[in-house]
Amino acid sequence: MVFQHFNLVKRLSVTNNVLSGRLGYTKNGSSLFYRFSEEDKEKAAAALKRVGLSEQAHKRASELSGGQQQRVGIARALMQEPKIILADEPVASLDPVLAHTILGDLERLNKEDGITVICSLHYLDLVQRYATRVIGLRDGRVVYRGTGEDIRRMTDEEFKEIYGEEAKRVSAGPTITGKPA
Amino acid sequence: MNDKIIKEKGASAVSPPLAAILSFIIPGLGQTFSGFIRRGILILLSAGSMTGIMIWRIVDLGYRAGVGWPVFVRAFERRPVFVFIMIFCIAAVWLLSVRDAWICAKERRKPFFGVFLVVLLGFFIQGWQIAEIDPVRFVIEAPEALGPLSRVIWPWKAAITFDERNVAANAQVLDGEGEAPVRAPKIEGRPYLHVEPNVGALTTQDENYKPVPGTKVTLTGTDFEPNTITEIWWIDPVNNKFRPRENKEYLQVTTDSGGAFTMEMTLPYVMVSGDKGTNFIHTIEARQTFKIGGPKASDALKQTLALMVETIFMGMMATMFGIILSIPVSFLAARNIMSGSKVTLAIYYLTRFILNVIRSIEPLIWALIAVVWVGLGPFAGIIALTLHSVAALGKLYSEAIESIDQGPIEAVEATGATRLQVILFGVIPQMISPFISFSIYRWDINVRMSTVIGMVGGGGIGFILMQYIRLLDYRSAGIAVWFIAITVAILDYVSAEIRNRLM
Repeated sequence: MVFQHFNLVKRLSVTNNVLSGRLGYTKNGSSLFYRFSEEDKEKAAAALKRVGLSEQAHKRASELSGGQQQRVGIARALMQEPKIILADEPVASLDPVLAHTILGDLERLNKEDGITVICSLHYLDLVQRYATRVIGLRDGRVVYRGTGEDIRRMTDEEFKEIYGEEAKRVSAGPTITGKPA
Repeated sequence: MNDKIIKEKGASAVSPPLAAILSFIIPGLGQTFSGFIRRGILILLSAGSMTGIMIWRIVDLGYRAGVGWPVFVRAFERRPVFVFIMIFCIAAVWLLSVRDAWICAKERRKPFFGVFLVVLLGFFIQGWQIAEIDPVRFVIEAPEALGPLSRVIWPWKAAITFDERNVAANAQVLDGEGEAPVRAPKIEGRPYLHVEPNVGALTTQDENYKPVPGTKVTLTGTDFEPNTITEIWWIDPVNNKFRPRENKEYLQVTTDSGGAFTMEMTLPYVMVSGDKGTNFIHTIEARQTFKIGGPKASDALKQTLALMVETIFMGMMATMFGIILSIPVSFLAARNIMSGSKVTLAIYYLTRFILNVIRSIEPLIWALIAVVWVGLGPFAGIIALTLHSVAALGKLYSEAIESIDQGPIEAVEATGATRLQVILFGVIPQMISPFISFSIYRWDINVRMSTVIGMVGGGGIGFILMQYIRLLDYRSAGIAVWFIAITVAILDYVSAEIRNRLM
């Protein structure tokens, strides 16, 4: 799970935040002293390396920038050795450049490790660039089904059908879910 | 015409002259009837309370003057300016309220708030009189305070003492009439003091408390240490010793190169001299003091230091007990934790209520109660401070719990963590910073409070500070004040520094 507001424990170190992804596999007793197995620690170092944050491993999470914090969030999700990563608007609180970095990271996980990424996004340009499969939701119902390619060819009429009459093509609207296979 | 229409059309229920007359009878009544109800009530209340307080002050000032008019005359004689200004203010409020009512009724708007300015002026004058503010006295009596104040500000003379060796000789004097006391024999080589005459009258006071000087006597000393200041001491029949003064200076004389001196003194005023016709023998002592060895820390310095340490530890113990007790309490007082059911919510409100009550009673008052319970001493002070700390910390901690961020908790839960792990990784790291910050702040407060809690018997440095002040020992008091100031300043700095780093 990757969160919109990162949801890191700000006062813990980056490594500890990543290691907390392993809690499901750790006994109560050892986590009482914030201790993890050597294997988990190596795994955490590897996860941080993948998101390019090895340098920041010992900093407090609160010292990192927004984009870096989100990458810590991704590393934490990786620790669970997931088959599917659920990303809840992972770039909603980031600027466009960082948004591309983060989604690039998720894309790499998808291509290299074969992890399915289910990601909710607002902006169609991001969806066009990264999504393989797209589902549009409005008021809890599916209103659109297609591929990234379909979005690129989408007409303004179709757009208005999904987003409602008042929408222009740049604004935010219902959730578009991109689902790379 | 009903109320609603008045508001909509903006017309008054009474005509302007009627409103003015109503306000003339009772201030504010005209405004009330013109639709400015709150303004009317406010004017009535302020004019009423001003007049009430005025009557009370006049009765107070004119007491014993009888009843009615003489009371007023007496009060006016004693405080003419005050009584005059107050009558002026009340009259002004009354007349302005009439004008105010006229405008309210006629122009349908709130007039200038001049009437309230006069009310404010009246209360200011009353406050001045009730609080006995006296700037003249403040200035004139300042020189009186300079002596004690300078000793408090620079008390270090009292911080060191020397071992002393005395060279002294006594001579006896009879107060009143009768047989002169037998003079001590002169021993060769020993210091000797001769008083001539050795029968006389002490200084007394007449019925107007004016001093009536006593007999003048001549003191002759021989065989003292040469060229040394010699102090004159008075020892009364019950063995009280003091240094008599003439012209506000302590009596003393410097011996010549042969160790001898001659001086005159007037027999002083002594409280113990007792009933008229009782003849007592008093003793005059001439004393030379020599320091032996190097400077040593005085008793005042040692006592103050020991009690300062006691004070710091009192504050620390109270803080620790406070922390331990307030942790469970703070969970009971946190709304987000207790909002589960009606029972827990009731506990939440009850805890909050108790905490508020405890907190609203000052630690000094708690100390008075604790002294009754466990007796004088630091333990009573610790109990008082602990109670107050629990209440204050309980509130602060519970607010920290309430303001916790749910996001990280959700994230940790999403990793499949157990309840304990969620608390360890999601809750505690968020709590730790405000927790330590509040605790250190509380320690700071507790040490500051424990410096005064001794004044009501709760142990610590306040106790001895109070004692020094009552004994008029301003230098020792000054040492205590200095230590308190230094300790509090250091603590203030340290606690601010630690809190800054935590943030």
